[in-house]
Amino acid sequence: MLSIKNLHASVEGKEILKGINLEIKAGEVHAIMGPNGSGKSTLSQVLAGNEAFEVTEGEVTLNGDNLLELETEERAREGIFLAFQYPVEIPGVSNLQFLRTAVNAMRKHKGEPEMNAAEFMKLAREVSKQVDLDPAFLKRGVNEGFSGGEKKRNEIMQALLLQPKLAILDETDSGLDIDALKVVSDGVNALRSADRAILMVTHYQRLLNHIVPDHVHVLAGGKIIKSGGRELALELEERGYGWLGIKDEVAAQ
Amino acid sequence: MKPAPTLSSAFLQPPGQTLPAALLALRQQRGTALADLPLPTRKTENWKYSSKYLKLTDEIAATLPVSGTPAAAAPGYCAVLRNGVLVSDASNLPAVAGIRVRRFSELSDDEAATLAQRLDGTLDRQAVQLAGLNSARFEDGLLITLEPEAVLDQPLFIIHETGAESSGSAFPRIYVDAARHSKATIVEEYTSSGTAVAMTNTVTEFTLGDGASITSVRLAMEEQNVQHLGATGVRLLDNARFESHCVGFGGPLRRHDLQVRLEGPGAECKLNGVVVTQGKQHYDNHTTIEHIAPHCNSEETYRNIAAGESHAVFNGRIHIHQDAQKSNADMNNKNLLLNNGAEIDTKPELEIYADDVKCAHGATIGQLDETSLFYLVSRGIGRRDANVLLTMAFINELVDQIPVEAVKETAQARLSDFFDQTFQEA
Ligand SMILES: Nc1ncnc2c1ncn2[C@@H]1O[C@H](COP(=O)(O)OP(=O)(O)OP(=O)(O)O)[C@@H](O)[C@H]1O
Ligand SMILES: [Mg+2]
Repeated sequence: MLSIKNLHASVEGKEILKGINLEIKAGEVHAIMGPNGSGKSTLSQVLAGNEAFEVTEGEVTLNGDNLLELETEERAREGIFLAFQYPVEIPGVSNLQFLRTAVNAMRKHKGEPEMNAAEFMKLAREVSKQVDLDPAFLKRGVNEGFSGGEKKRNEIMQALLLQPKLAILDETDSGLDIDALKVVSDGVNALRSADRAILMVTHYQRLLNHIVPDHVHVLAGGKIIKSGGRELALELEERGYGWLGIKDEVAAQ
Repeated sequence: MKPAPTLSSAFLQPPGQTLPAALLALRQQRGTALADLPLPTRKTENWKYSSKYLKLTDEIAATLPVSGTPAAAAPGYCAVLRNGVLVSDASNLPAVAGIRVRRFSELSDDEAATLAQRLDGTLDRQAVQLAGLNSARFEDGLLITLEPEAVLDQPLFIIHETGAESSGSAFPRIYVDAARHSKATIVEEYTSSGTAVAMTNTVTEFTLGDGASITSVRLAMEEQNVQHLGATGVRLLDNARFESHCVGFGGPLRRHDLQVRLEGPGAECKLNGVVVTQGKQHYDNHTTIEHIAPHCNSEETYRNIAAGESHAVFNGRIHIHQDAQKSNADMNNKNLLLNNGAEIDTKPELEIYADDVKCAHGATIGQLDETSLFYLVSRGIGRRDANVLLTMAFINELVDQIPVEAVKETAQARLSDFFDQTFQEA
């Protein structure tokens, strides 16, 4: 489904990604772990199309098509979804209006009729219950004044509404209490299917108890330096990153 | 040095003579006072950014004729004024106890004499000089009186239609006299018909007695062949409350001076304003709040959005007089520049002579936030829609506060036209 070859990217002239190679097949769940500042969010943002990052080398294809040629909104319509590490607050745009505009943009792209306000409200209420967010949140500004955990649940709610082919979750588990982690994991598991893939960035192996990955990768210094199965996450949790010959920032925290 | 140009005598030709004597005399006196009025230039402080848009050519000196059927209509109570004169057939004036809406021309001599003494009383004529041309030129006017305790059960729409089928100017004049504890919502919509070069020169005044409460909504939406030179003056006595919602769409010249005098203890005003400009349009809001009595509150929130090569101006003056202890004044102006070619000038002007006051002010000029834009498009929302959502977000809070549903809808429809023109489909 997603194929990344020798991807290099920089921001403000500074190279952050230094040759990433990664193959993700439909139905798979991949986890990316790695120290702070290693480029995990950069990779996520580059895939989603953030123009603040410049791709200097390499290629990315989604089901054979060149992803890097597509505008951000086109990538979303082709099925890329990024749950932001830091969801953006947009006062003045109601969550409901935002979600409906997004869902209708997707429906339009697929040639489906747009949903009217009442139809959408019904759907949005159901999905908000699924992520345990009070429907009252729909009326508030996008992420405006949401707590950290509420923002993350709002991201998962968007994923559930938009039904992406490839969901990239950038630390969606960070800052969640135990119950919220369960809610979010259930949401992610609900997305799992044979024709979808999930790429999760996380620092904690506890998430991987809920969402069992097929592959685990270690991203350090802008490169994937080790890949393995589920057991790699356990090993990292026990031993930190030191044994891989890199600076061990996470373990030191 | 050549002398500064003055107002052309063509603008001071005597208008129609159908008013009671006292009003004719007032008009004449105001005309004489304007005879040598120097026209504003770049060096005129309160016209610094806007003088270049003002085109007082002789072409628009004539008073536009009243004839012609107004296109406009409104739900509920409405007073339709075409070129400043009430069109009775098109209007539906309220029949409510204690409330009267009359033309100046139908007042008795005594009533006219009282009105003549009060006209311009809410305004600093020095500051609004040019808009004061209205006082020399009004053909007729509308006097709205609310007796003590009278309550207008529904909003009154005043539709000002500038009929520019030929070149000239309209001089609508409104005076609202709200006695103690009376209450009303008054909507003024400025529209135009025809395509000739024209001007609306309008003045509206409100006097509020003790505990009176007036909500004013003002929509300036004439077409691009019409300049707008307007002033609103408000005087509040003890515990009176004035709330205003102004929505303005840019044009060749758009100027509105809003002056509020808090004269009685406990009086308060809330002034909201939204302005959008595009192309080569202009809009200039000059507001003044005079805190004269102690224990008064003022709250002012204005937002400008300028696209294309347009130019928006906001000047907010707050003057807290020496005796106005315990004043509470809060002014906030935020501006959004959608293109590099657009210009926004904003200036808070605070003059504070009392020591025990709370006065907050803030003004910012910014652009659309890239991070927010990325967040929206990363959900599949098109760039154009994302731009519209974010731009709307900038003013939504104020548009939502418009207390009359029908006006809110009109404003929203116009704003959405504005966005359609500003953000073309990619
Ligand atoms: N807009 C930017 N301008 C300058 N530097 C940036 C920018 N965005 C990211 N960086 C830098 O790129 C490097 C990688 O950042 P990134 O956010 O991808 O790390 P990360 O692996 O997600 O870290 P964390 O675990 O803390 O979330 C960091 O050194 C960061 O400071
Ligand atoms: Mg990160």
